[in-house]
Amino acid sequence: MKKTWLRDYIIRRLLYAIIIAWGILTVTFVLVRIGPTSPADKYLANLAARGQDAAQVIAAVEARYGLDQPIYAQYLNYIGNLVQGDWGWSFSTSMPVIELIQTHWIYSFQLILLSSIFAGIIGILIGIYSAVRQYSRTDYIATFFSFIGISIPNFWLGVMLILLFAVQFGLFKTYYDTSLPLFSLANLKQLILPVITLGTGMLAGYTRYTRSAMLDNLRKEFVRTARAKGLPERTVIGKHVFRNAILPLITIIMFDLGSIVFGGAYLTEIVFGIPGLGRISFNAIFADDYAVVVAITLIAAFLILMINLITDITYTYLDPRIRYD
Amino acid sequence: MKETILSVRNLKTYFFTRRGTVRAVDDVDFELKKGECLCLVGESGCGKTVTALSILGLVDRPPGRIVGGEINYDGINLVSCLPARMRQIRGREIAMIFQDAQSALNPVFTIGDQIVEQIKLHSEKSHRQAREMAIDLLKEVGIPSPDEAASYYPHQLSGGMRQRAMIAMSLSCDPRILIADEPTTAVDVTIKAQILDIFQRLKESRQISLLFITHEMGLVSEIGDRVAVMYAGKIVEIASVTELLTNPIFQHPYTSSLIKCLPGITQERERLESIPGTVPSLIDPPSGCLFHPRCAKAMAICREKEPPPVNVTKGHTVFCHLYSAQGMKK
Repeated sequence: MKKTWLRDYIIRRLLYAIIIAWGILTVTFVLVRIGPTSPADKYLANLAARGQDAAQVIAAVEARYGLDQPIYAQYLNYIGNLVQGDWGWSFSTSMPVIELIQTHWIYSFQLILLSSIFAGIIGILIGIYSAVRQYSRTDYIATFFSFIGISIPNFWLGVMLILLFAVQFGLFKTYYDTSLPLFSLANLKQLILPVITLGTGMLAGYTRYTRSAMLDNLRKEFVRTARAKGLPERTVIGKHVFRNAILPLITIIMFDLGSIVFGGAYLTEIVFGIPGLGRISFNAIFADDYAVVVAITLIAAFLILMINLITDITYTYLDPRIRYD
Repeated sequence: MKETILSVRNLKTYFFTRRGTVRAVDDVDFELKKGECLCLVGESGCGKTVTALSILGLVDRPPGRIVGGEINYDGINLVSCLPARMRQIRGREIAMIFQDAQSALNPVFTIGDQIVEQIKLHSEKSHRQAREMAIDLLKEVGIPSPDEAASYYPHQLSGGMRQRAMIAMSLSCDPRILIADEPTTAVDVTIKAQILDIFQRLKESRQISLLFITHEMGLVSEIGDRVAVMYAGKIVEIASVTELLTNPIFQHPYTSSLIKCLPGITQERERLESIPGTVPSLIDPPSGCLFHPRCAKAMAICREKEPPPVNVTKGHTVFCHLYSAQGMKK
């Protein structure tokens, strides 16, 4: 019974996701092309220095990448290539976009993963404690720091952390060193400041969300039943209350992952010079590297859509009352 | 004379709120005997539920706290016993059924899992044995196809079935005392009769001592052996059910009004009786007898002095100046 409607639902959602991603692709594709500059300008600057003729260079470059064609032709061409798995060519780095993404995604991934683990575990634990000991001193302190954490812009926090711990105390390097192997303690160490930068806002948010979700459920009657059964408080809170509190939490955490985390990771990568997708797309925007900008926007959009879908599916397993029709 | 299994002595449970101290249970005294059903009757907000929660130490603290009295069970005082001992008693020796099974059951676990959890908590049984036991219990309380029902979530069951599941869960560790807090209030009339029937059978088959809380005088005659009438946090009358219902001479005026409020099927009546006035504030209670502002038979002394317990016949105690030495003198 459950299986069939869930399968139909997933198929329907995937179709929607493709349509939405296509819409986002189209908008981005047009937007980057109506800007006042052209990638040919960059070539121009380079080649003019070597004494070549400007008009010739522009024409050559535009012909080479199909930029002399009308925008709809470029668009159809791009879609045609994309469907075949060709993400286009990065002008500024002189390599296929797909290769660029393959080398750099891991830097973003490690940052987001570690920050989420850091913020998730600590935030949820503090939130639970705050709710159970509502209005205690610990609760007030947690609330105070949560509001600070939520209010601090993470690029500012990143710069401050660098100034204090890297420049003043010399505990860390001021930049991200790509020569270190990914799975090494040294790499983990150099990720400490970036993870704190990206994770602080998330942690503060999770603390608040967990606290309020726990408080909502702590007052429910089934909590009294659980105690009347003779269960120890640990089980009452950790199993009966938390299992209900996790439902609203998941929505918020997943929503955060889409907006705050991706946005935050972008800025954190720029501040620390981490060569992740955020940094790549930042560089690509300034270099008018159309294909890279469109590809990374498309990937981010698709990831967010998938996260939303996974959230909704997870929900059906966590809350037996939910059914999507 | 039957053996006493639970005795509540001068229990006082107060709630400390911003608006003042609410004396939800104030000097309550009663005994529960082995194998009997004691009904605790009274209007909403008179302290019945708080009395029950006090027994299991489940009063929310803050704002509530047991400020005085004793609850003696099996040689220990539950008011001052260690939390670890209390947890052993809860569910295993004294179990409780709540009014609204819909909100009292956890929505995200199956009925079977919730029962199994309690069995495994208090015994060494394997998961499989506990599961089989849970299914047997569901069968005992009259749930059709108990095998299937065990894998249902609370929202998939009807109100009556949920209440049965709740009863099955409370019985899972074969408790000596069962506290039922208005178990029939949230279900409709036909289901109510079936649920009462379950309790009736439990009394006979399991020799369980039952503390049955209700606001319906009508249920008392069906299920109760003895009855304690509560008003505004105090017990006003305790008697056997037959004595209380058949001997109106020594009734507390409040009990009489409660009985009068019952809609009769045989008698033709224009409209339902009701007791004039409202339940007094428990923050700022009236002086003397708490019922005097609403009592048709109130005398001068009722305003001044709290009525003492009067033993009118054997096992029948009334807290009323109509029968007290001081009240008679005047």
